[in-house]
Amino acid sequence: MKRRGRMIFFLLSAAVFAGVYLWGLKGLPAVGHYRGPYGDVLNQVATYERHVTDIVTAVNFDYRGFDTLGEEFILFMSVVGGTVLLRRQREEEKSEHKDQALSDESPERQAPEPSDATRVLTLGLVGPLVVFGLYIVAHGQLTPGGGFQGGVILATAPLLVYLAGDLKKFKQITSHTLVEVAEAAGAGAYLAIGFAGLILGGAYLRNVAALGKTGMINSGGTIALINLATGLEVAAGFVLLLYAFLEQTLEIRLRGGK
Amino acid sequence: MSTLAPLPVVIPLSVAAILSALNKFVGRRLSEALAILTTIATGLICGELLLQARVQPVIHWFGGWTPRAGVALGISFVIDPIGAGAAVFTSLLVLAALIFSLHYFDTVGTLFHVLMLGFLGAMCGFALTGDLFNLFVFFELMSASAFALCGYKVEEPESMQGALNFGITNTVGAFLVLSGIGLLYGRTGALNMAQIGRTLGGNLDGLVITAFVFIMAGFFVKAAVFPFHFWLADAHAVAPTPVCVLFSGIMVELGIYAVLRVYWVIFDGPFAAHRWDVRALLLAVGSITAVVGAVMCFGQRHIKRLLAFSTVSHVGLLTIGFGVLKEDALAGVALYVLGHGLVKAALFLVAGLLLHRFSSVDELELHGRACRMHATGVVFFAAALGLASMPGFATFLGESGIIDGAKGIGQGWVRAVFVISGMLTAGAVLRVWGRVFRGMGKADDAETASAKKIDEGRETKAASHGIPAAMFAPAAGLVLLAIAIGLTPGVKRAVRTAAIVMQDRTGYQARVLEHAWISVTPAEEEHTPIGKGLAWSFGTTAAALALAFLSLSPYWPTKHVLVRPVAKTVHLLRAIHSGHVGDYVAFLTFGVAAFGVVLAVLIHLR
Repeated sequence: MKRRGRMIFFLLSAAVFAGVYLWGLKGLPAVGHYRGPYGDVLNQVATYERHVTDIVTAVNFDYRGFDTLGEEFILFMSVVGGTVLLRRQREEEKSEHKDQALSDESPERQAPEPSDATRVLTLGLVGPLVVFGLYIVAHGQLTPGGGFQGGVILATAPLLVYLAGDLKKFKQITSHTLVEVAEAAGAGAYLAIGFAGLILGGAYLRNVAALGKTGMINSGGTIALINLATGLEVAAGFVLLLYAFLEQTLEIRLRGGK
Repeated sequence: MSTLAPLPVVIPLSVAAILSALNKFVGRRLSEALAILTTIATGLICGELLLQARVQPVIHWFGGWTPRAGVALGISFVIDPIGAGAAVFTSLLVLAALIFSLHYFDTVGTLFHVLMLGFLGAMCGFALTGDLFNLFVFFELMSASAFALCGYKVEEPESMQGALNFGITNTVGAFLVLSGIGLLYGRTGALNMAQIGRTLGGNLDGLVITAFVFIMAGFFVKAAVFPFHFWLADAHAVAPTPVCVLFSGIMVELGIYAVLRVYWVIFDGPFAAHRWDVRALLLAVGSITAVVGAVMCFGQRHIKRLLAFSTVSHVGLLTIGFGVLKEDALAGVALYVLGHGLVKAALFLVAGLLLHRFSSVDELELHGRACRMHATGVVFFAAALGLASMPGFATFLGESGIIDGAKGIGQGWVRAVFVISGMLTAGAVLRVWGRVFRGMGKADDAETASAKKIDEGRETKAASHGIPAAMFAPAAGLVLLAIAIGLTPGVKRAVRTAAIVMQDRTGYQARVLEHAWISVTPAEEEHTPIGKGLAWSFGTTAAALALAFLSLSPYWPTKHVLVRPVAKTVHLLRAIHSGHVGDYVAFLTFGVAAFGVVLAVLIHLR
């Protein structure tokens, strides 16, 4: 189809599509008239049964913890997929850059050094961010947050190191093998907690850990443990993706900096 | 509660995690061995679950959250014979693909096996779950692994293009499914399929119709039903051969499976009084898909693309089988998925063999070059006959089941669609056989030469002499299995029993929500004489053979007056399959809108 024809065809279809969608939305209960039993039941029983104060986390990591296992693996497989899809191009680039090494090292090709202000700000943020990320991961059962959110925050720390221009440090803290093992360990730990429930309790992901006192950091049983595992997986997964994307740039810049 | 039920998902995922952790430390052979052993173990567990499910659907509540007063708090696996059978079949095809790839691909690394195992776990979970949102999660997990597997040969730009088209269209499909789930949750406050079905009861309104259209269209994207099918040929043409086996053999069919499951558990209640409207839509869409796929298939010269379009055509037939909404047709669909998956997988494997040996899957380039590969030729030929649903193959049992069901509701005309589809798709494959394995016809056929020629990059280092047993054995084994199933007495009856269980909505609800013991009534003995069906199917096979030979002979009319309109239509169809993902999404949007309008109008007219 020509560009114009495609647009017209799409817009006409989309208009009808929107009509169908609105027709469906009209059948929903009015705002504030929640009908389902699900939320009501959980709001009543979750704190009592799971010793958690954040019901959403209780749903994500316990009542519907198996969905979250699947979602964690969606991330895991996407990261593996990303690594796979970026693999060959990297090798090709390397050989290409060998030929262009000279021009790469010429001064106008080099990225500008980050200013002191950038360096101070970004490096200064690394520490607080790591603490904040760990806090969010560890308090999922008490306040909004948990392994996914905290993991993403943790993954920004190495990115800040990179932005500060400290490339050697970035390479050190994102040792590819180590991060790869960490990611798999996070994903594997989730599965292992599930197996513990299956072996000790007869149901996959059944809580087999002590529930602790509601409101304390060690409450929630497996919910807290799974959050830690997820935090590790998510943080490492994002770093792996960053790594894959940044590696080419790094190759060039590291050589330039020699 | 069964403790086996979660294993088909969590065992492959566990091994995938372990392999990924050891990526740098394990060699190719070790990771292959682990992947194959895991797949065998998964298949055996699914087999055991199938045996258990034949007595009673097997239930597992994750986290031990059994329902309270009919309200499901957690997620359940609900494993009935059809779901378990799909999981067994998935494991079998993954096994065949892994064995084939032992000698394939120079770039196979540990991460390939990680992706394959993730794909396996996702497909098993998709087949076994009883929760609508969990179904969506596995849909996504399946996609995440499949996108990467599709683009695995990153050295070719086409590979990325095909994977991107696949990724974008399927993501739009996922959005549709999720929107549909959101609508249903807003109405019922439930995500468990049994509970949604029970809460909806028989009430039909705009919300339910929209939710049905969205969820069905979303899964139809995966199933490659017209007009959602465009991504399929692009993805198949570029994906590595073992991955094509899984795409065509089971992933696409799981899209149909999901719609079937959702329809019979959730939507059959609301649509009970409007079954004819649903039938009208599905029979029409299925017929169009079958014919479009078949016509496109016959016009290809790239063998993988040709096989991909044949899959589109056969998915159309499956859609017809679903659209009949009768248990014998449902049983037919299950058998047809088995039979088609086996022979199609074998055909792809042979295509991979040709690529391995001659570095090409172009029909014209390969003219006469495989004349000395006798055994491979026999396998290819036999698989083509299976594609035409020749009696003796499992596809024949499936076809006769679907057509019996259609006759039962007075829609015997669907036979014509089966004949057209079988004739053209099998005819195209037999033409390839004649040209490549027998050296028939000319190498510069004007008709086929006008099709787009795509250079397929090598998947293996050197075109070696001789054929490794690991590449030939899976193809031969799969075809033999298709024949064995087709000749086993009692298969049809057992599958019919399974189909009755799948359609029993109230039984399913009671089993899931009250853990009741439901009655499984064995299907009656087959009474319908199959003489007529036999004649039709042999006739289709003969017609396919005749068409193949005619197209290879000098008498093939290419310029005749009568042929011109056909050629014009084919040309138009080809133009639609542009490879532009914007076109694909536009057609997708059109399809959803059309489904919604057609269904709404039909329902309001009655």
